[in-house]
Amino acid sequence: MNSRITIWADFLANPAALALWALTAAFIGYVFFAGGYLVTVLQFALIYTVLVTGLNVFMGFTGQVSFGHNAFAAIGGYSSAVLTATYGWEPLPAGLVGLCGSLAVAFLIGYPVLRLRGHYLAMATLAVGLIVYEIAVQWDAVTHGYMGISGIAPIGIGPWSVTSDRGVLAVLLVVSAFALLSAAGIRRSRIGRAFLAAAGSEDAARALGIDVARYKLLAFMISAAYASIAGSLFVHAVGFVSPEVFGLAMVVLAFTMLYVGGLGTVAGPAFGAIIISMLPESFRAFKDYQDLAYGAALIAILMYAPRGLASLPELWSKFRRRAA
Amino acid sequence: MSLLSLESITRRFGGLVALDNVSLEIPAQRLSAVIGPNGAGKTTLFNVIAGSAPPSAGRVIFDSEDITGQPPEAIARRGLIRTFQLVQLFEGLTVLENVKVGFHLHTQGGLLAAILPTRAARAEEARVDAQARELLNETGLVTHAETIAAVLPYGQKRLLEITRALAARPRLLLLDEPAAGLNRPETDLLAALLRRIVDNGTAILLIEHDMSLVMEVADEIAVLDFGRLIAKGSPAEIRRNRAVIAAYLGSAEAEHA
Amino acid sequence: MLDLVGQSIVSGIGVGAIYGLIGIGFCVIYNASGIVNFAQGAFVMLGGMLTQAAMVHLALPLPLAAALAIVAVAACGVLLERVVVRPLWNRGSTMFVMILATLAAQIVIERVTQILAGDQPRTLPVFTDRPPLKLLGFAINFQFLWIVGCSAIVIVALALFFSSTKTGKAMRACSINREAAALQGIRVSRMLALAFALSAGLGAFAGILITPTQYTAFNVGVPFAISGFIAAIVGGFGRPFGAFAGGILLGVAQALAIVFLGAAFKNIAALSILLLFLFVRPTGLLGPAK
Repeated sequence: MNSRITIWADFLANPAALALWALTAAFIGYVFFAGGYLVTVLQFALIYTVLVTGLNVFMGFTGQVSFGHNAFAAIGGYSSAVLTATYGWEPLPAGLVGLCGSLAVAFLIGYPVLRLRGHYLAMATLAVGLIVYEIAVQWDAVTHGYMGISGIAPIGIGPWSVTSDRGVLAVLLVVSAFALLSAAGIRRSRIGRAFLAAAGSEDAARALGIDVARYKLLAFMISAAYASIAGSLFVHAVGFVSPEVFGLAMVVLAFTMLYVGGLGTVAGPAFGAIIISMLPESFRAFKDYQDLAYGAALIAILMYAPRGLASLPELWSKFRRRAA
Repeated sequence: MSLLSLESITRRFGGLVALDNVSLEIPAQRLSAVIGPNGAGKTTLFNVIAGSAPPSAGRVIFDSEDITGQPPEAIARRGLIRTFQLVQLFEGLTVLENVKVGFHLHTQGGLLAAILPTRAARAEEARVDAQARELLNETGLVTHAETIAAVLPYGQKRLLEITRALAARPRLLLLDEPAAGLNRPETDLLAALLRRIVDNGTAILLIEHDMSLVMEVADEIAVLDFGRLIAKGSPAEIRRNRAVIAAYLGSAEAEHA
Repeated sequence: MLDLVGQSIVSGIGVGAIYGLIGIGFCVIYNASGIVNFAQGAFVMLGGMLTQAAMVHLALPLPLAAALAIVAVAACGVLLERVVVRPLWNRGSTMFVMILATLAAQIVIERVTQILAGDQPRTLPVFTDRPPLKLLGFAINFQFLWIVGCSAIVIVALALFFSSTKTGKAMRACSINREAAALQGIRVSRMLALAFALSAGLGAFAGILITPTQYTAFNVGVPFAISGFIAAIVGGFGRPFGAFAGGILLGVAQALAIVFLGAAFKNIAALSILLLFLFVRPTGLLGPAK
């Protein structure tokens, strides 16, 4: 029984997950009510939820590695920015162009890149991310280089655009909910099993007729699509884009959220994104400390809780044993 | 017309000849075994058949089609499913999920079905679930359906691998040392399972070291030594074969007690 | 035009030697531990920054400041190994986690440096304050000579270290087969710390050599790390001297790219070379090591 009802039922059956969802819902409700600065932080968290959910499909389900998904966010983001701000397009078609561009790039580089393993794969994806960053910086006729593009129209369709902060938050909630639900659907489906099989044992998967190369490429393209959409959403929510937005910091941030939330889980990206976005709130004024905190936090997480939230029960029992 | 024909298979690794001009006919709906001392080339033979390694010379014909050098997933699609000497499970998945992966070849459903589950897609998933449980029931693992594969004892991991292979509805099942690491009772259960599989219409080609198992279940035995086929025939014939006894030189004695 | 190309090649060799030194650092750590140390760039940055700080705040002459900086950075390398790499290693973390952790360490080091030293770029004085030499029609400035000369000395010293000294041979043993080395009584954990110290020192040295020709600031580390990594891949990962050759090649290729395609393509050229090698010949020009 793999209907969507069962997926929710599984969440309900697990008290820890249920508690987290309840907390999350309460928090989102509070932010809607209270408004103000928290709305912006939550918007950021929801956009990253989409990005990290996609990354989770590629890295968590399919067991691969990518240090370069900021490239696809950049393609999506810059397409949206340039087409709407410079050429007056509507946001939706602009985002669609970015999406197609990201999928095309993912397809073209996918085959050679995904034949690589281990640190070769990591570095190849990093190179892709850096190349796109360089293009964003150097192609200033289109991207305006470091100066970036500002005055990007908010999200909207035709004469209706969503200008209020709460409105944007609502839109982002819908999009990220769809992202999470589709990831859950993938996890339970035939292709999800193929992804997990490729991660578990490529030899065994192939011996069962699974074209591992094709499925790795599919996972790569799916995650590229999520990243592209996240990039487009970002530029419309913030109204501004520059190369720094899609730089290496995005990669580290996404990884931190992915690990905190729990690599390979379905809801992990959402929890991780919200927790990590909320964490340095007090440091917001000092951008330097923020990155320092991210770096140190990531090292600590990798060392003590590599399974993220899923490690919490283990850590708790270790703590209790030592206190006893 | 035999199900699988090996024609003059030769496989060289640099200067080493792992398989030397091996020709073999594997009939359908029978249990055939390949035995031989360590290093005789048995697993290499499997790798050549299943597509992990192309032969240096010779052809592999499966069901009248030349499958030489095709990739493993293409060969699996034709109904030739193999297991591995060191069990290759999807350790992080449950027992049930492992078996469900085996149904991949005979189900449909891509990205669209995953994201927007239609009634047809949901029905298919329910069917896969039911059939997977049924298979687990047949091989005796159904009580462990929700257990994570990694924690199973070794004998049951082996059993799971075979169950998963059966889910792919093989015409020919290639089993690489399925009895390795099993104790006596487990081996007896395995023997019964193997005979049941063949009786249900699936041919089996087996690599094994456990002589008593092979003698008990095999219809036909081929013997490799130093990459060459030195004998083939029924268990009774092989037991008496001088060349075979010479090749083993005593190890067969120990197994035969 | 030929003059321009020739001059570019000369400066490319100079920069390339720096990339090569950094690349050797990558190889030394990779050989000893199997991980790619993404904090390598931070060591390069610290070399220049600490030397400059020592000259300004401790009023030390350049050679002394440089020596002090190299020792300090080598100590940083050991610190990184002890605090970040070893614990993760002992927990059996995947290699990806190690790369990520060293990348995070790079960010931490960068930010701490930024907080302590500010974002103003700074530089070091050239080692020899004389006008460039004229050799075969090319202008060769003295810093270039220092870079190439010092690199050559370092290469020879390293070669001798690995082939003739007991410690050097022990490190090579570790890289070939860690278990066998341990069984021979080689203290593998000490070798690991030594590898990091050596690698960090090399990086710092490279940073000190190049800073007079450009500038240094808290964020110059990552580009250097990437260049050093490309050098190591091109030369064949795991072969230290191949990495140096790879660095020279990269430096020259980059210089030529600037001449023929424009300055904008400097990094894209380097990254494209990386991708090309990863796709076509990941084992590098010289092929797989041993």
